[in-house]
Amino acid sequence: MASFILRKAEPRDVSDIMRLIKELAKFEEMEEKVVLTEKDLLEDGFGDHPFYHCLVAEVPKLQGSEGYTVIGFAMYYFTYDPWIGKLLYLEDFYVMQEFRGLGIGSKILKVLSEKAVKTRCSGMHFIVAENNTKSIEFYKRRGAADLSSEEGWRLFEIEKDDLLKMTAK
Amino acid sequence: MHFKVRAATKEDCKEISRMILELAVYEKMPDQVKISHEELERDGFCQNPFFECLVAEVPEENTSKDGFTVVGYALYFYTYSTWKGPTVFLDDIYVMPEFRGNGFGKGLLCKVAKVGKEKRCVRLQLTVLDWNTPSRDFYAAKGAQDLTDSEGWHFIRFDGQNLDNLANEAPKD
Repeated sequence: MASFILRKAEPRDVSDIMRLIKELAKFEEMEEKVVLTEKDLLEDGFGDHPFYHCLVAEVPKLQGSEGYTVIGFAMYYFTYDPWIGKLLYLEDFYVMQEFRGLGIGSKILKVLSEKAVKTRCSGMHFIVAENNTKSIEFYKRRGAADLSSEEGWRLFEIEKDDLLKMTAK
Repeated sequence: MHFKVRAATKEDCKEISRMILELAVYEKMPDQVKISHEELERDGFCQNPFFECLVAEVPEENTSKDGFTVVGYALYFYTYSTWKGPTVFLDDIYVMPEFRGNGFGKGLLCKVAKVGKEKRCVRLQLTVLDWNTPSRDFYAAKGAQDLTDSEGWHFIRFDGQNLDNLANEAPKD
């Protein structure tokens, strides 16, 4: 069984994070939607006003080599609910296929939950595609509620062109 | 009807709290409101605020029947997409019923879009309840797409005892 470590992402990790973002998007069948670059990730996560926080999971490099390889990540940030206050929002959460089943995903989720509780968050939110039954079951086993099914919440989006039209008014 | 949309101040939090409850009543979930104006003041006006808020205000001569001049609000914050970058997330937008139909909602929404654009946001996201047809139509008319419909996204939450249970299992440092 591979040992692994979880740690806070650093600027040097952006190319690994980018690689994993693209792998996850491919799994979600939306690879062509990734327009972000490593430069964006660096500026947006490690600049003056970070838009996100990130954890990475590493395993030791192959026998005989030194160091670790990044094989999983979780990107999150803090949001706000006018009814209950601060929330931790989990934006992306991914472990490479060959490293699944080792408890890495579970550990990541637990570390994030601890972070949420320590920072006085009332909950942890995220979205998942309805056809991703494996992930939905993973979350439901741990007590998550599907608010789209249970309360009827639907996710809406207004994209840049339409946003610009509104600002022109 | 004359009105202005401006950034909320700490002093507006009591009014915003009042309207948050009105919106929750409309959404048929008033018992889910657990925070008051005190938390809003603390969390929205600290050094690194967790949200921003705009209010719609009418002149003194046009107060609501209960005497309020702050008659609408939009509460939002910034999120991040690993695909596209910075996003503005509109969490609450509300106009008191007696002031609807005068462009207040549109004014609030457009101002949020403008603020988002100034912060390099590439999109605006929000959630709306499936039965809330007036709101769904309002957003669709501005070009919004329902991603739950078109892409199957579902909104998931961990809270209360379930969140605590998860946290208690986290590895010790």
